[in-house]
Amino acid sequence: MQFGSVEEVERALSGESYLPDRGLATAVYLAVAMRRPLLLEGEAGVGKTEVGKTLARILGAELIRLQCYEGIDSAQALYEWDYARQLLYARALQAGEVRDHVSELYGPEFLIERPLLRALRAGSGAVLLIDEVDRADDEFEAFLLEVLSDFSVTVPELGTIAAAEPPVVVVTSNRTRELHDALKRRCLYHWIDFPSLEREVEIVRLRAPEVPEALAGSVAESVARLRALDLAKRPGISEAIDWARALALLGANGTDGNAGRETLGWALKNRDDLERAQAELFSG
Amino acid sequence: MADELERLVAFARALRNEGLPVGPGRVVDFCRAAAAVPADHLYWAGRLTLVSRPEEIPVYDRVFRGVLEEEPPPAPVTVVEEEVALASREELLRTKSFADLTREELVELAALMQRLRLNVPTRRTRRRERARRGDPDLRRTLRRSFRTGGEPVERAWRARHRRRRRLVLLLDVSGSMADYSRALVLFARAALQADARWEAFCFGTRLTRVTRALAAADPKEALRRAADEVVDWNGGTRIGDAVRALARTNVVRGSVVVICSDGLDVGEPELLRAEMARLGRLAHRVVWLNPLKEDAAYEPLARGMRAALPHVDVFLSGHNLASLEAVGAEL
Repeated sequence: MQFGSVEEVERALSGESYLPDRGLATAVYLAVAMRRPLLLEGEAGVGKTEVGKTLARILGAELIRLQCYEGIDSAQALYEWDYARQLLYARALQAGEVRDHVSELYGPEFLIERPLLRALRAGSGAVLLIDEVDRADDEFEAFLLEVLSDFSVTVPELGTIAAAEPPVVVVTSNRTRELHDALKRRCLYHWIDFPSLEREVEIVRLRAPEVPEALAGSVAESVARLRALDLAKRPGISEAIDWARALALLGANGTDGNAGRETLGWALKNRDDLERAQAELFSG
Repeated sequence: MADELERLVAFARALRNEGLPVGPGRVVDFCRAAAAVPADHLYWAGRLTLVSRPEEIPVYDRVFRGVLEEEPPPAPVTVVEEEVALASREELLRTKSFADLTREELVELAALMQRLRLNVPTRRTRRRERARRGDPDLRRTLRRSFRTGGEPVERAWRARHRRRRRLVLLLDVSGSMADYSRALVLFARAALQADARWEAFCFGTRLTRVTRALAAADPKEALRRAADEVVDWNGGTRIGDAVRALARTNVVRGSVVVICSDGLDVGEPELLRAEMARLGRLAHRVVWLNPLKEDAAYEPLARGMRAALPHVDVFLSGHNLASLEAVGAEL
């Protein structure tokens, strides 16, 4: 599983309807070549998660996704024992005999694999997507660092499980908090910026083929203007695509006029932002 | 080849001199990455391995141009820094050195502030821990049952972990606060040591994050670094813009926000009212410390203060250490 060159990555991603800029293509190339986790940061809706999904499709690998949230711990990320089944099994063995059967109780059939363990077992056959790592608490980050450093974990009852060849790892963060330097040092770091106007038109056209070129251009232009406003939540690429789709369904030619005003909620999801945008973009 | 390697290492060193955390491990990664891509990708090989936060990108670009200058770096990047640092209407590039000012007193005060304890309210997290009562802990119960022949005689329990909320300090360092601002920055520095997730910001006409600057071990050094970063120290005040910028930083949701300001605002009161309302919805609690309140006859008549007050949960003075200690109990 390897790319020949940065250009090949660019072609492959584009072939899967993901248009990367040069920096992202280089990042993916190096992440696969150097087998280092790729840490992607950027505003919501610039396509961070999509990188992992697309990469899995290109490499023909299994996508294993670990969605992080506050309080996530190793039982949800790595493995857990199926306690109910263990208890029943222990009962079936009758009291007194259990001592000899402890090893059976911790056999593989009672182990519930969670994403990290699954990714280690799958090795290079998997793309591990660790999504929104900034939502997990920092204890979890330390634990993650351990797993990502040597790609092996120890289950006390089973022994050490190591990846023969490490999986491709994509980590995303929305930057709700600063990640630890130690984790960042393990990773290649790429900041995904909003695309240029031309690139955004291409992306909208690629993702929503039913949108006519002129409409896509108009949406991209409006979205760029919205991003320049001082908004609480700047619209991402996915918002641009949704907005363009909505306008296409309504048969509009552009974002100006009533259709644009009425569908603005596809691009902005905050009342203050909506009011501000209405005032600044649609008043004239 | 050796020359090439030397050039790369020199570049990495130049970045280190500019304050980027470029350790030997990163330099090795950088060299490996540079070797793995064609020469015209050198910019990206470096940016992916030597940069780890968006604020560092402009520094990287500058040093890259200066040291390696092969291709102009691609499209300029809009950086988060600019979101935090408000587009200010009148930029005051005036920074002040505090090294000579009432050194002993400030240091003494800083030492006293170390003892300050802030009781920030807690919230339940999703993480569970061992407890005397709560939900059944099956893993531990099963383990214990082996001691009693597989019969779960001794049962174990677990409960939701409680965690301190985040504290976010917003310090007014404009001209009208000059008598207080240094002490408040030291207060922030002392408070921040209690929890690595707590944050501090300074504002006058623009918002600047000073959390990192305040992490310095020495109070004088912390003050100096903060003063270096805050370019509008002792300038005008736009509280509404600062609150607005703060609400965009992603650290406010569910936090306890403490604003230290005299409420003398040159911005639009309407903006401040709207932004304070928004802040009130995002934050768990909003505390306002106004040093003018020291005077018993003080009434919040300033337009800005009047606009903000309805959205403030706790209104206190915070003009000396004793009143700051009282704040600790009121959070």
